[in-house]
Amino acid sequence: MWDDAGIRGRTPLVSTLPALRSTTLNWVRALLLIIAGALGLGMLVGNAQRGPLALGTVLDVLVGWSFVACGIFIWARRPTNRLGPLMTTVGFLWLLGRTMTLVPNPVVYTAGLWLTDLWAPAFALFLLSFPTGRLGSRADLAIVGVFLFVTVPLEFLWFLFLVLDSGLNALGIAPNESAAHVIDTIQRDLISLGSVLLVISLGRRWLRSSGPVRRQMTPVLVGAVAILLQSASWIFLSSGTRLELLDDLIFLAQIAIPIAVLFVILQGRMARAGVADLVVELGQTPTPARLRDALANALGDPSLQVAYWAPREDRFVDAAGEPIVLPEDGTGQAVTMLERDGIQEAAIIHDAILLEEPGLIASVASAMRLAVENDRLTGEVEAQLQEVRASRARIVEAGDLERRRIERDLHDGAQQRLISLSLELRVARSKLGEAGDPEVQRSLDRAADEAQAALVELRDLALGIHPLILTEGGLGEAVESLADRTSVDVTVDVGSERYSPTVEGAAYFVISEALANVTKYANATKAVVRVRGLADHMTIEVEDDGIGGADPRSGSGLRGLADRLAALDGTITVVSPVGGGTKISARIPTIQPMPSPVLAL
Amino acid sequence: MAGDGFIVIGEAVDGASGLAAAQALQPDFVLLDIGLPDIEGFDVATALAINGPPPWVVLTSSRDARAYGRRLTNGHALGFIPKERISGAAIRALVDRP
Repeated sequence: MWDDAGIRGRTPLVSTLPALRSTTLNWVRALLLIIAGALGLGMLVGNAQRGPLALGTVLDVLVGWSFVACGIFIWARRPTNRLGPLMTTVGFLWLLGRTMTLVPNPVVYTAGLWLTDLWAPAFALFLLSFPTGRLGSRADLAIVGVFLFVTVPLEFLWFLFLVLDSGLNALGIAPNESAAHVIDTIQRDLISLGSVLLVISLGRRWLRSSGPVRRQMTPVLVGAVAILLQSASWIFLSSGTRLELLDDLIFLAQIAIPIAVLFVILQGRMARAGVADLVVELGQTPTPARLRDALANALGDPSLQVAYWAPREDRFVDAAGEPIVLPEDGTGQAVTMLERDGIQEAAIIHDAILLEEPGLIASVASAMRLAVENDRLTGEVEAQLQEVRASRARIVEAGDLERRRIERDLHDGAQQRLISLSLELRVARSKLGEAGDPEVQRSLDRAADEAQAALVELRDLALGIHPLILTEGGLGEAVESLADRTSVDVTVDVGSERYSPTVEGAAYFVISEALANVTKYANATKAVVRVRGLADHMTIEVEDDGIGGADPRSGSGLRGLADRLAALDGTITVVSPVGGGTKISARIPTIQPMPSPVLAL
Repeated sequence: MAGDGFIVIGEAVDGASGLAAAQALQPDFVLLDIGLPDIEGFDVATALAINGPPPWVVLTSSRDARAYGRRLTNGHALGFIPKERISGAAIRALVDRP
C-alpha cells in the first residue's frame, strides 16, 4: 500500500556544497593537517632540546594529533556535522598551546598557556555534543559555560596576579602570589565541579540508551571520566603531588577517544544499532510517547517530534492533539513525511543534520511507517470486531423480537380462528342434539376433536417459538412453568430479577434444552435449576442425577445454544461423566457490549 | 351456557368497562379473558377482589395454561379454562372442585 514516494524529505536529502568550495575546504583541511603535524614535531623537538624525551610528552603530542587527524577525517566525510571541526579545534588548541609555551617570549608563552587551558571547554563541548556536534539541552550548555567561565574571565584575572619565575607572563601587571593562588584554587574546584556534572550528564544519557547505543557512547563517557580524573589530579598537583602514571593513562584514553568516535561516526554503527532497537521497540506497539522516544533514540536527536496529520482539522497535531507547526527550511530542523497512497499521515520533525544520513532517516521512517500501519490495521480490526460482536448481538435480539411477533400473530390469528371454529362446531353439535343423523353427529364430533387437536399443536408450536410467560412473568416464572411440565422432579432456584429480553431468552432456551435432554436421555429421577444474577453476568446451572455420558458435540441442540450464547459473549460447558449425572453450566454477560470508538492512526 | 344453569347478565369489551359492569351488576361469576386490550386479566381479577364482595373469577384465554404458568393459581381466580372449552359444565366443575 505504500509507494516508493512514501518517504520524502522536505529539504534535499543530500546537501551538495558547490564544487569549488568543497575543493577549497579540502585544501584547508590538508593544510591544517600539515600544520598540526608540524606543531607536534615542534613540540617534540623543543622538548628534546631541553633534555631526554619523557613518555608523557610523546603521548601529549599523540593526543593532539589524534584529535586533529580524526576531526579532519570526520569533517571531510560528514561535512555538515559540527563534530569534525569541533574535534579539529580541540586538537589544535592542545597542540598550539603546548608548542607556544616552548617559545621564550612573554606574549607567545602567555597565549600558549591560555590556549592550553581553553582546550578544556572545547573538549567538554565535544563530549557533550556527541554524536551530532550540537548540544542537546540547556543543562549541557550550562556545563560548557562553567568550563568557559573558568578558562576565560577567571583565567584572565589569574594572569593579572600570576608571578612567573621566568618572567614570561605578559599580563602580569599586578603580581600577587596569594591572590593568584586563591583564583587558581577556585579554578581547579570549578573545573572539578564541571567535570562531575559532565560525567553525570553523559552517564544519564548512557543509562537511558539501550545496549548497542550504550556501547557507542562509551568513548565519550570514558572521555568524561578522563577529564574528571585529570581535574582531580590537578588538585593533587596543587598540593604538590604529581601522579605521572595517572597522567599517562589519561593521555592514552584521550588518544583513543577520537579514534573510537571516528569509527562510530563513519561506520554509522550507532545509527544502525539504534534502528535495530527501534524495530524491536515498534514491534511492541508502543504508546505515542514511547514511539517518539524510540525514534529520538534511534536518530540520536533528543529534539525529535512526531506529528500526525489530522485530516478534519487540516493540520498536523502531536499525540495529545495539540497543533504542530512544521519547521521551515533553514531553521536547523527538517521534516520527513510519511505518506500512504499519496496522502500524508505523519511527519518526523528532526535535526536537519540527520539529512546527511539519507539511508538512516529512510530506514527509521520505514520502521515508523510499519508501526503506524500496524496501529491503523489493529485499530481497524478492533473496530470491525466490535462491529461484528454488536451486529451478532443485534441479530439475536432481532430474532427474539421476531419470535415474539410470530407468537403474537399466531395467538391473534390462527389460534382465535381455531377457537371460534371449535366453539361453532360445539354449538352446532349441541343444536343437533340426539335428533339428527348419527353420521352427521359423528362427523361433527370428529371435526370438533380435529379442531381441538390442531389448537393444541398450534399452542405447542407457539410455546416453542416464544413462551409468553417469559416476557410477562420473567425467567423465574417461565422456568417454574417449564419444571411443571417436566416429567422428572425439578427443583427451581431462580430469583425474580428481570434481565434484558435477549438475556432472558438465551437463559430460558438453555434451561429448556437442558431439561428436555434430562427428560429424553438422562434417565434421571430429579434435577436442579439454579440461576444467579451477579454484578455483570448471570450464571445458570442445570444438574441431574442421571446416567451422564452426554456429548455436547453431538446433537445440534447444545451446539445451537453455544452459538446463541457466543453471540452474547456467553459460554456454556457440559460436564457429564458416565454414570455421574450431567451438569450444564452457562454464563451470560448481562451488560451487553456497545461498540466503542477506536482511534485508528 | 345459559342452559347449564348460568344466566349471562352482562358483557364487556375491555378491563375498564368490565370492572364498571361488575360494580353495577354484582355478578356471582365473572368469566375473564386474560388477554384484554387495556388491562391484563390478572390485574382485573385483583381489582375485582379488592373492590367489595368478590365474585368468583374464572380466567380464560385463547392460549393454554402453559403460557401463564403459576400466575393462574397464585392470583385471585377460581381457575382457568381455555377459551374453546368454556361451558357451564366446565365452570361448574371448577366450583365443585374440592
